[in-house]
Amino acid sequence: MNEEQQLIGEMARRMLTDHCSAEVIDRAEQGDFPELLWTLLDDNGLTTLGVAESSGGAGGSFGDALVVLREAGRKAAPLPLAETLLAGQVLSQLGQRLPEGPVSLVQGSVTLTESGQLQGVVQGVKFARYCKTLLVVAQRGDASMICQIPADAVVITHSKDLAGEASDTVQVATTVQPEACFAINDAELDAVLVWGAAMRAVMMAGALEEALAATVGYSLERKQFGKAIAKFQAIQQQLAVFATQVAASTRAAETLMVQSEVAVIDVAIAKARIGEAAGICAEIAHQVHGAIGYTRDHRLNHLTRRLWSWRDAFGHEAYWQERLGRTLLADKTGDLWQQVTALG
Amino acid sequence: MFQGMNFAPAQLPGELEALRTEVREFLNAETDWHPNSDFNAGASPEFSKRFAAKGWIGMTWPKAYGGGGRSFLERYVITEELLAAGAPVGCHWIADRQSGPLLLKFGTEAQKQAFLPGIISGESFYSIGMSEPDTGSDLASIRTSAVQVPGGWCLNGSKIWTSNAHLNHFMVTLVRTAPATDNRHEGMSQFIVPIHADGVTVRGIDNLAGEQDFNQIFFDDVFIPDDHVVGEPGNGWAQVMSELAYERSGPERFLSAFRVLAEFGKSLRNGATESQARLYGQLVAHLVVLRRMSISIASLLEEGLMPDTEAALIKDLGNSYERLVPEVVRLYLPGQVPKGLAQALEECVLHAPSFTLRGGTREILRGMIARGLGLR
Repeated sequence: MNEEQQLIGEMARRMLTDHCSAEVIDRAEQGDFPELLWTLLDDNGLTTLGVAESSGGAGGSFGDALVVLREAGRKAAPLPLAETLLAGQVLSQLGQRLPEGPVSLVQGSVTLTESGQLQGVVQGVKFARYCKTLLVVAQRGDASMICQIPADAVVITHSKDLAGEASDTVQVATTVQPEACFAINDAELDAVLVWGAAMRAVMMAGALEEALAATVGYSLERKQFGKAIAKFQAIQQQLAVFATQVAASTRAAETLMVQSEVAVIDVAIAKARIGEAAGICAEIAHQVHGAIGYTRDHRLNHLTRRLWSWRDAFGHEAYWQERLGRTLLADKTGDLWQQVTALG
Repeated sequence: MFQGMNFAPAQLPGELEALRTEVREFLNAETDWHPNSDFNAGASPEFSKRFAAKGWIGMTWPKAYGGGGRSFLERYVITEELLAAGAPVGCHWIADRQSGPLLLKFGTEAQKQAFLPGIISGESFYSIGMSEPDTGSDLASIRTSAVQVPGGWCLNGSKIWTSNAHLNHFMVTLVRTAPATDNRHEGMSQFIVPIHADGVTVRGIDNLAGEQDFNQIFFDDVFIPDDHVVGEPGNGWAQVMSELAYERSGPERFLSAFRVLAEFGKSLRNGATESQARLYGQLVAHLVVLRRMSISIASLLEEGLMPDTEAALIKDLGNSYERLVPEVVRLYLPGQVPKGLAQALEECVLHAPSFTLRGGTREILRGMIARGLGLR
């Protein structure tokens, strides 16, 4: 990571450490949006990184946005940060300006008629209730469209995902003006999936680093049989495996952060690899924490529930593994070793 | 408090691609061996000699001793190309990887001048002399010992699991030169033992695959002159430990099963089921990340750092991967299994148990990682 990214990461980490306590996360799960934290990140431009200033963003690269998201993952920030940063990528790809405030993407079965009627119901829209603007992916005949609408034009039913984060049902039945609708081709739609996967991958990497530190810390504090459980080889061997998985995840995530333009193949590698690590590590984290880790009182659940949620979002491991495999095999003359070394 | 590992996203400099091309051309012209990407699977003195003629053994060592004065990252490119091609690297591998660097670091000027040129020319091959019949993971428990005699030492004992000792010329041997004290890491030294010296007997041991790979070596009143002692007598433990970051972090710790994966990929080119494509993608994803981690460590070594914990970590992760590849590929073979794939798979299954034993067992490595985490 370059010096600027390190500074951005430190700034984000400081803000999150100060304003994203376990209590804030628990309250968010009860429906109390961490307004103060959001405003702080927003005022410092961290919610619009990766979008040119001329388009209403804070400038910087997509990799810079990933640096912030790793920190958000580390602290389990219950905010529509990835969603808003993703919307920023989508809008700037379409040549549009970023609106104010949180934005989420509504992707499901929504149709747009020639007369501008937008109709459909989509479940699992992250943080919809806190957004001012929604980007709705809609089908108009054979074409895909993105419609930018005010969130108060839809009916939102509250719901939560397994991480305990707002994941609402959005009922759309509204008329949109043609100037708020933009055609989006398949490649551009795929880019949305790729960005989303990159974001969830680095968020998992951050959460994994934190979960390892927390589990190591707990094992040194918790005493059984007259000594810290960290002193038992059975625990040491499990934590060593944990560390290998975290190191691999961090390396895969940082590859994405330092790229000038995110490469689909590296996103596939990162999402597949880190998603696999998430399952392995969450299991070890809970095993080492014992029963206390299986409670809502203990903060480990903030991390592990997010890991289980994020590994399934924007394509799970099997999706990206197969896609990666097919991409490599499609090159009929491609020698595997040449492909691997060309990836750097 | 645990501070995290150091795997900063280093990359191989682009200018190394010319070197990569050169190695590939050299290897493409070399055909008189059966490819196996396990570094321990093949040994050919002739190959090592031709390889040395390219200036690729001891390539990072100072020019004053005949080395190439090139970077550790350049060496990385060469070693990974050798493994990926499945070249028979067994003869020169140990000398190039650790015996030479050990002599450079701890040897006397006379030793460097006496021993390094033979390694660099591909004529002197080295063995590792650490394990003994009663000493495996607990290396400090060695019993091979030497007593001082006029002009040198009289060596007695035995070393075991010595790869290619029957083809090699020297063994850098860890020996107890003073009785064990409360500090069991004291009183050990490293000797350069000429394998063909009087009193040295080499007995082959067939490995599980039926190959004569490793050996037991017996020392029976072997005279070792003082100028064959590496470093200070008594400093053996620290010296052995310094070899390990080199020994553990290289691409040979995750490429042993590469031929299986490459042949599997070839067999899928004309069509893969969902499960086959998924497995292939999964295994390549692991490989790419491992390689990137290994390059990160190579960059640290290039900066003169000794990332012991990171080296143990990559070895454990890489070895687990090498063990996984044959276990899962066998379940997703195409209907008609090409001969190359069937053979690579069979060889890999038979060699796989050694991957997580050699160079430090899985359990020892995980103990080292645990120490790095602050648990011990």
